Formats: sequence, C-alpha cells, structure tokens
Amino acid sequence: MLVDLSQVAENEYGLKRENNAMDGIHDLGGKAGFGTVEVEDDEPYFHESWESRVFSMVVNLGDNTDRFRHAVERIDPISYLSDTYYGRWLGGLETKLVEDGFVTQREISEHMRANGISDEGRVAARPSEHISKENKSQNSEQYYNTPRPASSEPRFQLGQTVRAVPTGSDGHTRLPAYVRAKKGEIVAQHGEWIFPDSHAHGLGEMPQNLYTVAFSGGELWGLHLEEKTEVRIDLFETYLMELQDE
Amino acid sequence: MSNSYVGLRAEALESLLIEKGLIKSDQIDQTISLYNERVGPMNGARVVAKAWKDPEYKKRLVEDGTGAIEEFGFVGGQIEKLVVVENSDSVHNVVVCTLCSCYPWAVLGLPPRWYKDPAYRSRVVKEPRKVLEEMGTTLPKDKTVRVWDSSAEIRYMVLPQMPPEWSDLSESDLAERVSRDSMIGVELLGLDCSA
Amino acid sequence: MTILEDGEFPLKELQPPMTNGEVIFEEPWQGRVFAMTILLNKAGLFSWDEFQSQLILTIEQWEREGDKSEDYKYYERFSDALNSLLGKKGIVAGEELVERTEEYVNRPHGHDH
Repeated sequence: MLVDLSQVAENEYGLKRENNAMDGIHDLGGKAGFGTVEVEDDEPYFHESWESRVFSMVVNLGDNTDRFRHAVERIDPISYLSDTYYGRWLGGLETKLVEDGFVTQREISEHMRANGISDEGRVAARPSEHISKENKSQNSEQYYNTPRPASSEPRFQLGQTVRAVPTGSDGHTRLPAYVRAKKGEIVAQHGEWIFPDSHAHGLGEMPQNLYTVAFSGGELWGLHLEEKTEVRIDLFETYLMELQDE
Repeated sequence: MSNSYVGLRAEALESLLIEKGLIKSDQIDQTISLYNERVGPMNGARVVAKAWKDPEYKKRLVEDGTGAIEEFGFVGGQIEKLVVVENSDSVHNVVVCTLCSCYPWAVLGLPPRWYKDPAYRSRVVKEPRKVLEEMGTTLPKDKTVRVWDSSAEIRYMVLPQMPPEWSDLSESDLAERVSRDSMIGVELLGLDCSA
Repeated sequence: MTILEDGEFPLKELQPPMTNGEVIFEEPWQGRVFAMTILLNKAGLFSWDEFQSQLILTIEQWEREGDKSEDYKYYERFSDALNSLLGKKGIVAGEELVERTEEYVNRPHGHDH
C-alpha cells in the first residue's frame, strides 16, 4: 500500500518522523517470541531489596516522566529484555545520570570493579551525547502529564476513519510500530495533552489533541488469528492522517 | 543498605528479631506484598461494588471515571483521566501498556510483575484469547475482546460483570470479592469462570 | 497468610500514608518496620491497643522534646514506638539494638546484601 508521505502531517514542532527510524526494543506490541505470561502467586512488592532502592532513587530524583521513559527505552536491548522491570529502571537511571553529567560511565564501571564485579558484564546504560545537549530548561514543572486547556479544534471527528502515519521516530514517541499505517476509527476525543515526543527531549509541552482510535484485529494482524478482537489505543493528532483516495 | 541512621536501625532490628526466631525475612516481603495486593486494589473493588449496587453511580462512572472516583476521596492520585470500561454480554475488556507499564495506580495499587513483562505486553494485543486462556480465563467466540493499550496518560480500569449468584450480597461483601485481575481484565468473577 | 484473616484490620491509627491507593513507603526500611509490626502482633507479642498506646506516647514525647526544625516524620515515630514497646516487654533490649545498629553503621561502604 503506497502512502503519499507529503500528506503526513509535517510536525510543526520540527520533530521528524522517518521511514527508517530505528524502533526501540521497548515497543513490544505484537512482537513474537516471548512465551507464556508467568504469574507469580503472592509476589513480593520488590523481589529483591535492591529493587526498592532503585525505586526510591528514581522517585526522589524527579524530572519529567517522558524523559525518564525515553531513557529506559534506550538502554541496551538485551538488558531491556532480561533485566526485569527494576533492572530497566536502573539502566534508565544510569543513562540519565550520565547524560545529565552527575556521574561518568567510567566512574560507574570503576566502582563496580572496585567491588569485585567484573566489567566484562553487560552495562545497560547507553547514554547519548546527542541527548545531553538538549535544552533542559524547557522542562515542564509537571512530573506527570496533565490535560492542557484546549487551544485548537480537533482535526478528527468521532466516527471518522483515519490512518496512523507509517513512519517511526528516532526520538521518544508513543505511536507503537504495530499500529503504524493501519486504518482505524476515532472513538473518543480527549482534548489537548502534553506531547511526549517533544517533552521527553526538553522541547517543551507543545500540547496536542489526543484521540482513542479503534483498530480491528484483522486490520492489525492480517490473517485472522483470533475471532472478534480489537485494540483501542490513545494516539496524538500528529500520529494520524486522513484517508487518501481509498 | 540505608543511608540514614533510622534505616540502619530498622535493619538492625530486623536482624535481631530473626536471630531470636521471632520472624522470618521472607514473611516481611510477603506482608508488604499482601498489604499492597489488598489495600491498593481495594479502592477499585469498592468502586466496582458501588457501581453494581447503584445504577446511577454506574452511569456516572462509565461517563466520567475520574469524577466518579473522586466521590470516594482516594488520597493523592496521579490519574489525570480515568476511563472505566464495562464488560457486557457482548464485549470483554482487557488493559495493557505495550510500550511500558502504565497502570491505574490510584484504583489498583501497583501492577503485578507479569503486567510489566514482555510476554504480556507483546502478546495480549495480538492474541488476547490465547493469553487469557493461559491465565485461566476462557471467553466465548461470539464475544468481542477489546484490548485497551494505555499509550498516553489516560488510564483504564475494567468494570467486571457481577456474577448473578452474588446479587444478594451487601456492597462491602461484594467489594471483598472483586479481584485485581478482574479489573485488569484477565479474570472473570464468579463460580462459572467462562462467561 | 492473610493480614485480614481475623477480620481485624490494623487500627486506623496505623493506616500508613497512602497515595494512589497504594501504601507509600518512601524508603524500603519503612515498609519493613511496618511489616515487622504486623508480624509481631500476629505472633502475639503485643496487642494493637498496646501498640496504639505506645505510639501515642511516642508522638507526645516527640512533640515535647523533638527537634521541631525537622518535619514530622510518621515512620520515624512508628519505628520509635515499636522499639520502645519491644524494650518494655523485654523482647529486644534497648542496648542490644543500639549495639547492633552501631555495627551496621560501621559496616564498610559497599557492603553487599
């Protein structure tokens, strides 16, 4: 299916979406190979005590949610899949601390060696020099996103069929790969919210209209794997476009 | 390892109590988790029980989840917008966050580990029936399964169907029986576990 | 094991600070102190009435003598109350606890758990 890319909303915030952007390992919807869901009976709040310390550190360090999520998304993919939930937080935390100049990667490695841990081991953090140069002064006071007063009319109406853009992003985004280029129906309008793609990179809140879009299972997965399934997902206006001559 | 004196003192106390045979270390972990298992999801359970008993409340809840839970005065709350999705004879709802682990904390406490791990996140959007089956829940083929992927800041909670055999129970008895997993959507309530 | 088995839920006074409907422990030690208290009660070492009375005494003492430049910290009072009660009942003597705490304070940095 050919999509006229000139119709993809040029993101006026200057955040480019590309055809060959690299998808993060965190974007797991529809990905194969993960086996059964393992349910643990009476699982403890923290499985090991170091997890509660990571939790405390992250909660106390603050900063905005979108930036932290983006840091977690960028850790080493093998770590992402094997280090468990708080292991991912730790990787994200290390990444952010290095990018923000509080510690250097070398200091972390040296400390590990000094405590008898071989630095042959995997390091989850993947701090990016590019990220550390971003404008942090634009960060909102808000840790969590909140709705913003509506300043623009919604572009899409209830009941309208739309298509998710086909492009990914090298930066933080909340459009999962499994939805890209798929056709769905607007089932709810939620007003304007802080735009994570900009917020995570210190480019400001740049509020945008948010919608719930319904996609049928057949549309998403092709051959009917299961009867009568659908996915409803919340998508920002610039993740969507009108249908083209279809 | 704590940084503070009081934290170290707590550790010291714990080690003394264990030495004296008065408690075991894993009991502490279990206590914390049980407290969270019950206390956290208890909020959601109370909301569900009230909706079952009071049709006017249920209407408000489904139209404006955020406003309706404010009536309970749950402390704090970082849910800016809560949408409560109602199970029916024709639709079964289930909630996920494929991109990370967004979850309606204010009503359900902390998410279980499986909710945050790759298996659930990758598979429930694509094969929800199979995933639910593996978790012990069978859904009829003529029922639509609707998966909500919490990709932005809106949080979702499932309003399960009340088993008909519970209709004589009081609201507080009902609240005791509403499980966290039924409010995520991976479990059905009642004796007959397929709806 | 369930805390709610006896139909007795920890006293309202014991209700710890919660947010998001979930018990909030800012530091891991707080959760452990809270859990230890519940477990010791279940083991029959003291009743909730006794604990509540001690907590009230402890808080009053803090109000009389405590450093007011500091914020009121719920869990520090809670922990003080537990320790006092255990001392009074001869379960864990004050000196024992101080001694063990000092050992922990003097542990080498980077101690692994």
